[in-house]
Amino acid sequence: MSIPELIVQYWPRLMAGLVLTVEITIISLFFAGILGLVFGLLSVSKKKGLRAIALVYVDIVRGTPLLVQAFFIYFGIPQVLGIQSDPVISGIITLSLNAGGYLAEIFRGGIESISRGQMEAARSLGLPYGMAMRSVILPQAVKTMTPALINQCIITLKDTSLLSVIGVTELTQTGRLIIANNFQSFEVWAIVAVMYFVIIMILSKISKRLERKMSYGKSKN
Amino acid sequence: MGKVKIKNLKKSFGDLEVLKDINLEVKEQEVICIIGASGSGKSTLLRCINALEEASSGTIEVDGNDITRADGNINKYRQDIGMVFQQFNLFPHMTVLKNITFAPVALKLKTKEEAEETARKLLRSVDLEEKANVYPEQLSGGQQQRVAIARALAMNPDVMLFDEPTSALDPEMVGEVLNVMKQLAKDGMTMIVVTHEMGFAREVADRVIFIDEGFIVEEGPPSEIFGNPKNQRTINFLNKVL
Repeated sequence: MSIPELIVQYWPRLMAGLVLTVEITIISLFFAGILGLVFGLLSVSKKKGLRAIALVYVDIVRGTPLLVQAFFIYFGIPQVLGIQSDPVISGIITLSLNAGGYLAEIFRGGIESISRGQMEAARSLGLPYGMAMRSVILPQAVKTMTPALINQCIITLKDTSLLSVIGVTELTQTGRLIIANNFQSFEVWAIVAVMYFVIIMILSKISKRLERKMSYGKSKN
Repeated sequence: MGKVKIKNLKKSFGDLEVLKDINLEVKEQEVICIIGASGSGKSTLLRCINALEEASSGTIEVDGNDITRADGNINKYRQDIGMVFQQFNLFPHMTVLKNITFAPVALKLKTKEEAEETARKLLRSVDLEEKANVYPEQLSGGQQQRVAIARALAMNPDVMLFDEPTSALDPEMVGEVLNVMKQLAKDGMTMIVVTHEMGFAREVADRVIFIDEGFIVEEGPPSEIFGNPKNQRTINFLNKVL
């Protein structure tokens, strides 16, 4: 079969795979965002104990391969707990925890990039720490973090392909299953690669626009 | 009656003792200028007064509240202590107006309308009324510092602290900021000013404090400190800066 014929025949399955890929990415990034913010804030805390908690989390995430994390969460933990695990849920948990670790570092870096004077000025006006962080520091930090955040979104989207090994029928796994039927490795992987490429390009374009929108001040007068 | 009462204040950073034993009383409506070499501890002293630095020992009372034992009340106490920084520290993501209204509104001290009315009045008093809707980066250093003063005043503070407010400015902008401060002094604000502007100290201060190596070495009216300094260290310092 030629590539166009393959596309026509397998379109519903490929699209289903792509949709699952995007869904897992969005859900994982949502939870990762919360984890990243919480652990990022812990890592800039004045309290040593809180910083240590964040450090341990980030070190574990960064110090182990994503594939091992996925196996551990899908096979390892359910065995000990004696429960049946669902590949999609395990996959989302894995990616959330993984991206959360990297996002925590991005948040820490972003917060630390804002001059100390900003926090001091906010506090000197009587604003409590939380309010100063939320309204003064984080809006500025997020702006400087935007390129790194977008990068992490793209990485997480691509990392979903690793979930094929625990049986999640996302885009990569769909490709493997199709090849198992027709043995057309070259054509199918080319189609899959293009599909990833297109979706990531769309994401990049949207985020570029977002980045421009977020720059304040300069354009107005 | 003392607005600010500092007793036996000591402050160390690790092994380095920056403030060794500071005793200072500032009366209502008094303007104090703190002078001294870099590293003498003058900025640290100022920063202790609103607990941006935690005192190692001693007490600091502002309007009867002990800042060093504020516990949960520090945010409340700070509302009454305005601070102006060397680097302005305006919030770059907020317009000039929002910079000034943000804290009073967020802390529910004023409604948005009230706060904006106050802000415009304050902007008029620092001669920046037309800049209400621009972002700080579009302002010169002198303008930014005047906005920073307005922002601090919007909290209606009892005391204003100035931490080298003109040191980061181009020379031609120093005057406009000092003029705002002079007017503020005339209006009866209690002010503690860490400064290298000896001319300002001489003209505006009720009392000049010379700090060296963590101690108040000499204090008195400007005519005395500048005209007839007693301590050799004061004399040496003034010889260098004047």
